[in-house]
Amino acid sequence: MLPENITSIVARNERWTGEAASEPHEAGWAHEAVIFVRSLKDPKGPQPQVRAEISPDGMRWVPEGTAVAMPTARDGIAVLRIRHFGNWLRVAASFPEGSENTVLVTMHLKA
Amino acid sequence: MTHDPAMAEALRQALLRANPDLSRFDPLPRIISHDDFSRGHCGWSQLVGNYEDDLDAMLAGYAQHTSAMLSTLAHWEAGSHGGMDSSYALKLATRPRAGAQNVTIKRHTFRKRGPIRFEAYVTFKPEANELRLSETDVRAVGFAFDLQGGDRDGANDRVMPHLKFLNAKDGEHVQKWQFKTKTTPFTTFGSAKTVSHYHLSPEGWVDLADGGQRLCYNEIPTKVNWTYICFDFDLETMQATGFRCNDRVFDVSGFDSIRIPGMKNLWCMLNFLFFVETDVDKRAFLYIDSVCISGDF
Repeated sequence: MLPENITSIVARNERWTGEAASEPHEAGWAHEAVIFVRSLKDPKGPQPQVRAEISPDGMRWVPEGTAVAMPTARDGIAVLRIRHFGNWLRVAASFPEGSENTVLVTMHLKA
Repeated sequence: MTHDPAMAEALRQALLRANPDLSRFDPLPRIISHDDFSRGHCGWSQLVGNYEDDLDAMLAGYAQHTSAMLSTLAHWEAGSHGGMDSSYALKLATRPRAGAQNVTIKRHTFRKRGPIRFEAYVTFKPEANELRLSETDVRAVGFAFDLQGGDRDGANDRVMPHLKFLNAKDGEHVQKWQFKTKTTPFTTFGSAKTVSHYHLSPEGWVDLADGGQRLCYNEIPTKVNWTYICFDFDLETMQATGFRCNDRVFDVSGFDSIRIPGMKNLWCMLNFLFFVETDVDKRAFLYIDSVCISGDF
């Protein structure tokens, strides 16, 4: 049987400001995750890093260690490649006052 | 050799009952799909709303939807609960905002207008972020079909039967089944070829006759028990023919569906949906252990 492979949209056209994060996603069956964060509109203000976060329970989150710069232009794409994340997975970013980015977050999960 | 229908049916039943994967279902003669989520999402995808040119055009009801996920029902103090016979179930989660909904959909077409049966084992719980019973935090869970006849069938409505278990409303533990006959007015986009309506809007739900039912809600948010549902519908008459949930059999003679004029691109549509809604600013979870969709064709 072919290994499982799922593309999940965990945030679509969401305007991220302040402390922003994608909704919790369970992916314990997957050995790897590639997460794309695409800007659907021109971002405003200085852009922070977007970081992968993992969790023991889907409610309390800790940085996984992977972080990259948020896209700085419309249709720019940030990529995070992650392994060893247990079950729960999300991406988060801390925007300074006045900054924003409208995002499409796509998780590619593979067994 | 002569064909003996009674013998054939007895043999079919015996084979079903000896099969551990199917024995807990009562499928009609043809199984259209049987999903236990130990083999992936099995075609249960995110319900994305219609739009043209820009995602901003999508109706708010659809914009809130996210992808369902494969879950072991992992809980903070008890670990993975697991499904009925594998580690996995499909999990549908709302956002943490009172009234938020999420939907997962499976899209088919049908080969024959005749009886279909939709069976599933499901359960629901709120996110376990408070150390209390939380039995009124999930507002509703339910399922719906989205149907339309064939392109040569003449008078042809799009028909959308909905059944919802209204668990709670504004903190009141209601616990009753409802159906729906009205949707929102259509919104037209750009070229006017694309339209949208939000059929899960809060207006227009009607109580099913004697539709009160107290389901098993185990004592804390991290214990779940699976509930059986079975809904029968006739694609020929576009009428519901039966509904049961666990030990209760409901009268569907007063049931009706959302009926809107047939659309020029949805011929033989056979879609199935599950949905969940939260009553409080907390995520509500619908877990689907397994689904068996069958037909007589």
